[in-house]
Amino acid sequence: MDLRDGQTQPILDPNQPTHVYHLALDIGGSLAKIVYFTKDDDRLVDVEEGLSHRKALEKSNGSKQYPVLNGRLNFKKFETSKINDCLDFIKSMKLHIGGRQPQENPGSQPIVKATGGGAYKYADLFKERLGIILDKEDEMDCLVAGANFLLEVVHQEAFTYMGDQKQFVQIDKNDLYPYLLVNIGSGVGMIKVEGEGKFERVSGTSIGGGTFWGLGKLLTKCKSFDELLELSYRGNNRAVDMLVGDIYGGMDYAKIGLSSTAIASSFGKAISDNKEREDYKPEDIARSLLRMISNNIGQISYLNALRFGLKRIFFGGFFIRKHPFTMDTLSVAVNFWSKGEAQAMFLRHEGFLGAVGSFMSSDKHGLKELLANQVAQRSPRKLSFAVDKILHSLPDGEFNGDESIECSVYAA
Amino acid sequence: MAGSVEGEQQQKQVLGLIEEQKLQTQESENNHNTTGTQLESGEGEREMTPTAASSMHRSGSRPQLDVSKAEIQGNEEEKYPTILLPNQSDDLSHLALDIGGSLIKLVYFSRHEDQSADDKRKRSMKERLGLSNGNRRSYPILGGRLHFVKFETRKINECLDFIHSKQLHWLESHYSDGVTDQNGIIKATGGGAYKYADLFKERLGVSLDKEDEMDCLVAGANFLLKAIRHEAFTHMEGHKEFVQIEPNDLFPYLLVNIGSGVSMIKVDGDGKFERVSGTNVGGGTYWGLGRLLTKCKSFDELLELSQKGDNRSMDMLVGDIYGGLDYSKIGLSASTIASSFGKTISEKKELEEYRPEDISLSLLRMISYNIGQIAYLNALRFRLKRIFFGGFFIRGHAYTMDTISFAVHFWSNGEAQAMFLRHEGFLGALGAFMSYEKHGLDDLMVHHLVERFPIGAPYTGGKIHGPPLGDLNEKASDRDWKFLTYAVISWMEKFLQKGTEITAPVPMTPLAGTTGLGGFEVPLSKGSTLRSDASALNVGVLHLVPTLEVFPLLADPKLYEPNTIDLSDNSELKYWLTILSEHLSDLVDKAVASEGGADDAKRRGDAFARAFSAHLARLMEEPSAYGKLGLANLLEMREECLREFQFVDAYRSIKQRENEASLAVLPDLLAELDSMDEESRLLTLIEGVLAANIFDWGSRACVDLYHKGTIIEIYRMSRNKMRRPWRVSELKHVGAENKKSPRHKRALLFVDNSGADIVLGMLPLARELLRRGTEVVLVANSLPALNDVTAMELPDIVAEAAKLIFNLDVGPLGNIVPGKFTMGSVKYEGCVKMSYIIKEYGQNTPYVRLGQCCLIEFTFKHCDILRRAAEVGGLLVDAMINTSNSSKENSSSIPLMVVENGCGSPCIDLRQVSSELAAAAKDADLLILEGMGRALHTNLNARFKCDSVKLAMVKNQRLAEKLVKGNLYDCICKYEPAS
Repeated sequence: MDLRDGQTQPILDPNQPTHVYHLALDIGGSLAKIVYFTKDDDRLVDVEEGLSHRKALEKSNGSKQYPVLNGRLNFKKFETSKINDCLDFIKSMKLHIGGRQPQENPGSQPIVKATGGGAYKYADLFKERLGIILDKEDEMDCLVAGANFLLEVVHQEAFTYMGDQKQFVQIDKNDLYPYLLVNIGSGVGMIKVEGEGKFERVSGTSIGGGTFWGLGKLLTKCKSFDELLELSYRGNNRAVDMLVGDIYGGMDYAKIGLSSTAIASSFGKAISDNKEREDYKPEDIARSLLRMISNNIGQISYLNALRFGLKRIFFGGFFIRKHPFTMDTLSVAVNFWSKGEAQAMFLRHEGFLGAVGSFMSSDKHGLKELLANQVAQRSPRKLSFAVDKILHSLPDGEFNGDESIECSVYAA
Repeated sequence: MAGSVEGEQQQKQVLGLIEEQKLQTQESENNHNTTGTQLESGEGEREMTPTAASSMHRSGSRPQLDVSKAEIQGNEEEKYPTILLPNQSDDLSHLALDIGGSLIKLVYFSRHEDQSADDKRKRSMKERLGLSNGNRRSYPILGGRLHFVKFETRKINECLDFIHSKQLHWLESHYSDGVTDQNGIIKATGGGAYKYADLFKERLGVSLDKEDEMDCLVAGANFLLKAIRHEAFTHMEGHKEFVQIEPNDLFPYLLVNIGSGVSMIKVDGDGKFERVSGTNVGGGTYWGLGRLLTKCKSFDELLELSQKGDNRSMDMLVGDIYGGLDYSKIGLSASTIASSFGKTISEKKELEEYRPEDISLSLLRMISYNIGQIAYLNALRFRLKRIFFGGFFIRGHAYTMDTISFAVHFWSNGEAQAMFLRHEGFLGALGAFMSYEKHGLDDLMVHHLVERFPIGAPYTGGKIHGPPLGDLNEKASDRDWKFLTYAVISWMEKFLQKGTEITAPVPMTPLAGTTGLGGFEVPLSKGSTLRSDASALNVGVLHLVPTLEVFPLLADPKLYEPNTIDLSDNSELKYWLTILSEHLSDLVDKAVASEGGADDAKRRGDAFARAFSAHLARLMEEPSAYGKLGLANLLEMREECLREFQFVDAYRSIKQRENEASLAVLPDLLAELDSMDEESRLLTLIEGVLAANIFDWGSRACVDLYHKGTIIEIYRMSRNKMRRPWRVSELKHVGAENKKSPRHKRALLFVDNSGADIVLGMLPLARELLRRGTEVVLVANSLPALNDVTAMELPDIVAEAAKLIFNLDVGPLGNIVPGKFTMGSVKYEGCVKMSYIIKEYGQNTPYVRLGQCCLIEFTFKHCDILRRAAEVGGLLVDAMINTSNSSKENSSSIPLMVVENGCGSPCIDLRQVSSELAAAAKDADLLILEGMGRALHTNLNARFKCDSVKLAMVKNQRLAEKLVKGNLYDCICKYEPAS
């Protein structure tokens, strides 16, 4: 479950000829995520076909939609601290020049949609190294657009996770809104989403993935986020956390509903005079950190959902990483604080919300231009996607960040 | 001396009386209930009686009053001196504990009635005013003091030693059937109450009675918020502001207790509450993570580090992500923390390469913000308008409070405010204390509480670092109460040794003798250091004084603010602190001289100077360290500090000298006044009051003046030079009022200084009022402050003014002829018609030997009014006996009375006055407040339910400019009709 350092090979069969049409970036504080679209080679020529097909469709059932493109959405991530890997990858895949050459201004630099703070920070680097201009998309817009897209379009995008039990939740597209979107990146943003483009950042917390990784790095000798997560899985937080039982001599504080194993104070036990940092197991520290942060996010999320009367809380962002224990703690926290009334839900494509949103950013995404090129006569007003199939990169069927979604693009 | 023989007899008498009641009272080994200074100083000096031995002793003895070490307190010539029974124990609860994960908080009560002499005069006054006679049982609340002490839990032995050394664990109930040999039970809360129960049993032989933590927290918070006027405050961007909360408008509120973990409790009333939330990211997380990440050895050390930190090297800020730009769309500035510790991810640095200061600050901000946020969300959820943060994590640490406040402000868009409690950390212990059936705090009201900040508290009261009393083994030598003074010195020596390190935030110049004090220096940077004992000094000793009442004539007690000058203005504060500092060496000289100037006095003088300088320095650094600070508090603190160092009355001899000198010229003045017509007399009287108010040792300008002439010279100069019109001149109303409307029934005269001020200023005015048929009550201080006259001294002064008893060296009796006599260098010729009586004293009188000098008692005609009124008012106790027959004709006369105001400060806070004064005020319809302290520094803007006159000479240039845009020595006469 690591990032496979230096890995740049495409997920798709390298032998298969692909045409890259589109690229979008989300450069966060710790990770850079990219999403790019590859058109299936054989389907490329079918655009004209599609158009004629569309006419047929229109005639038969009056649908305004018609497939114009079939291809794949590809997901890939890099550590922001290794931004050069990302640049190398883009360069090697020629993503930055894929399929799109501004017609009206030949010779001008290609424009790539990007979001996340790094879109500002690394703008010069991209320009210098790849000769592309990052077109900054608002982070929140992208997040929400990405989540909305995934929740509306991708079957079984959302799931709950409690006590090692993963359960997919089918959400009726018409019953999706309003919901709370909790994006756990380096920090945590909490967004109340009421519809397409209708949302508000209502809260957040600075105690997020960056805190976990940052503190974890300082406290253990871990070299990567994933390693830290791995560690946490094997740890026992009792060694460092002060539990209710520690205070009450093993007894529950039943009066207020706290069991003896409830954490009274995270790291509260790590104050012993005769124990130094080295005397604590890194596993235990990692576990305690993870619980502290997950628990806290779960609590603040629930309080905000409650405040705005939101029935669903979706957790996304790279922090979760499909890590069962993280999801479990978040779920337990929401369950605990809501007294079972609320449930934490997760997204399969967590971590790529921003990148997908950036990709989706409505009219501005390059597919329209692409299509405009392909179909010279007309430019579609709106494009929509339908997901046909998700191609998994790993045999266990878990989405691991590097994968692609087979999908069709419909124009209206 | 005859007096002492009498005294002994009385002592026996009184003891006899008490012995009759001994069956109700119990013998006890313990003696920490005694007078204030003794209590403060003597504690911990007691022998540590082995537990077993003392219980054996007790069980074998019949219950009886322990009169060992009983002593007469106060002036032995008093007819009924107070008898001190230091070994008297009472059936009250002393001690309660809150044993938390990292700190032990201890609240204990020491019994202490404010011991003012209950003499015949006072009792007759009380009868006259309809007060019951000092039976403390008539008060629902016990007088005494609440002490707050804390220890680190891992050093629990220090706590046990402390309790043992003070014998605080002996608190078994004394039932009338004499069953006393049960083991002590101490109320305790916090997790440690379970964990350390065995240890307490083993070491102290007491059982911990566990009280529910939450119950205690809430009870403690409710008590503090209702009983202490300025318990709550807000803290934003380094600025502390006290909030006064109406007890009726307190509920519901959210109480956030930040201990190792955090509990959030919705409080709806006394005993009505619910834990609605909490977080495991609390003080323990800060300390735990901090310990792992830094090499800090204590919580305080970690906290102090944070002061010097810069979290930008650890935290990922919005600006770091957005390349220095704000993410203004969602209201995030570039300096907002996007991810706590997030910056460490992208850096190739080891832990050791980060500054521990930065780590500590980043941790602190992370945890504080988080708590603030969750607290706000919960307050919102339950629609609670107030959020109080308490618990030990805060520790009065400005930055912690700022971050929490910021979080609440930020997340609520400025709609909610975080509030803090001065006694944070002690909520649980206080609540545990209140869980005793008889805790004596029932019905306690705001005005019953006075908070004092003895500098010795960390020594006598224990503190968090080091053994509270130094080496506890050194007690054996100085355990005897006889060596009380020695005992005082012993903790004071410790203070002197450690004084600089512990209490002085700024370096003080070395002491050179008593007077070479450097005073205080303004710290270079404000609040830049966090001293570990800061909170120890922040929490004072709570004096429970059930006799205090709100002055009933205040127009609106809720709106009343005693202080005229707002010391939250920094320049104002600086100015007054400088004034006090400059005045200090002079004061120390006086204080030392007043105690005879012996070595002991000099040492105490040094200690006082250091202590007071430390107070001043502390206040300069943190003006609200002791709560809301007004000039009145500052001036009172000086007096309290003097008292703490056993300087009972620094101006004693000066007052005496000035009284005598003034009394000598009083007849002249009265004769002069009596020769005037009514209108000009009134004017002259008011002028006289203002002129005589120049004699004020509290004023630097006046002290300088004293070197230039005698009292009467200054007085006359002052009267002649008096500029008219006065700055606030509404005198004509006083006169008009007096003429037209029915006479005032009773006037309360709040008097100021001794000497000319009272004798030549206020007494003649009192006389005039009496002459007009108005009852006069002179209101004076209970305890000495500067050269202010006290209620104890007043009867004598009045008596002398009325009777003029002089011990004259007149040689042969023939020298005195009607119409003139010579006294000292002053010649009285023709100004009096002498209706004097010459008494010859027999050989058995110790005072006069026949033929050489004699005691002459005569009454000037002009003093008749005063004399009669004083007799009626019960001031002339002897005269009442001597002239009981002849005074019958005067029985319908108008009385002149004296009451104490309940204060020991040059100023007066009318929200807390003696019950005597409150009773006297009930029939009063005229108030005259005199002097800077009571009429300018405080109460200038106070409105009353009856007519009032404020009279003072402004003896401070700055004050003159500020209050009346005038000059030094301007006079203020402000008449206000009843509002």
